[in-house]
Amino acid sequence: MIKPIVGHLILRLTIWLLLTSDLSGINLAMGLAIALLLPRPDGRSIAVGDWLRMLSKILWAIPLAYLEAFEMLLRPHTQEDIVLERVPPQRSSQLIFLDVFVITFTPKTIVLRYRQDYYEIHRLRPRRTGRELEGHESEE
Amino acid sequence: MINPLVNLFSYGCIGIGLLFWFWGTAFLPSRRSVLFKLHMLSIADTLGSMAILLGLLLKRPQEWPLLVLAIISLAIWNTVLGYVLAYCSTTEATHD
Repeated sequence: MIKPIVGHLILRLTIWLLLTSDLSGINLAMGLAIALLLPRPDGRSIAVGDWLRMLSKILWAIPLAYLEAFEMLLRPHTQEDIVLERVPPQRSSQLIFLDVFVITFTPKTIVLRYRQDYYEIHRLRPRRTGRELEGHESEE
Repeated sequence: MINPLVNLFSYGCIGIGLLFWFWGTAFLPSRRSVLFKLHMLSIADTLGSMAILLGLLLKRPQEWPLLVLAIISLAIWNTVLGYVLAYCSTTEATHD
């Protein structure tokens, strides 16, 4: 299990080091002190497996976002709809934040609202072609 | 002297970024919904600017800490503010 403060410490220290671009001991100590002095988040600990799954989801979201953008460029997405996606049970607030981040980062979907057990997502879709519509009607 | 292949890749990234910028913002004066424009702006602002920064990172690798920080900040702030704008632009619907 990873405590929420560990994730925040890593993020704060990374931002500090990128901002100062100085890896000396004193600067590292200053960054660590500032990271510890800033307000601490509260929340439940997160299992290592959940963290790793989320990290791979975030890394995969970057190429996926560019793929979706090119898809939207080549095939105009003019249809809008709202879909509901269930939130996995016992989700911690940090993972819910990261879920919202990943969904909103990809250009076809934006989270509108988070409710107790589902995300309300606004989605863009391409207009159906005549052939697809015929197929859909025959299915019905 | 920058490797010509890196130079080409760098200009490619900047070109894609500029394409996303102009294409994404072209929908702003249209009569589409605010949410549709937000989807397009997430392409222009977030993905377009990130591609331009990646192009700059390839051209000026010695400035990598600040450019990487700019890419991370862009990804986080644009996405989170996109969610805030989407949240504010829709009224609370009842699902009872």
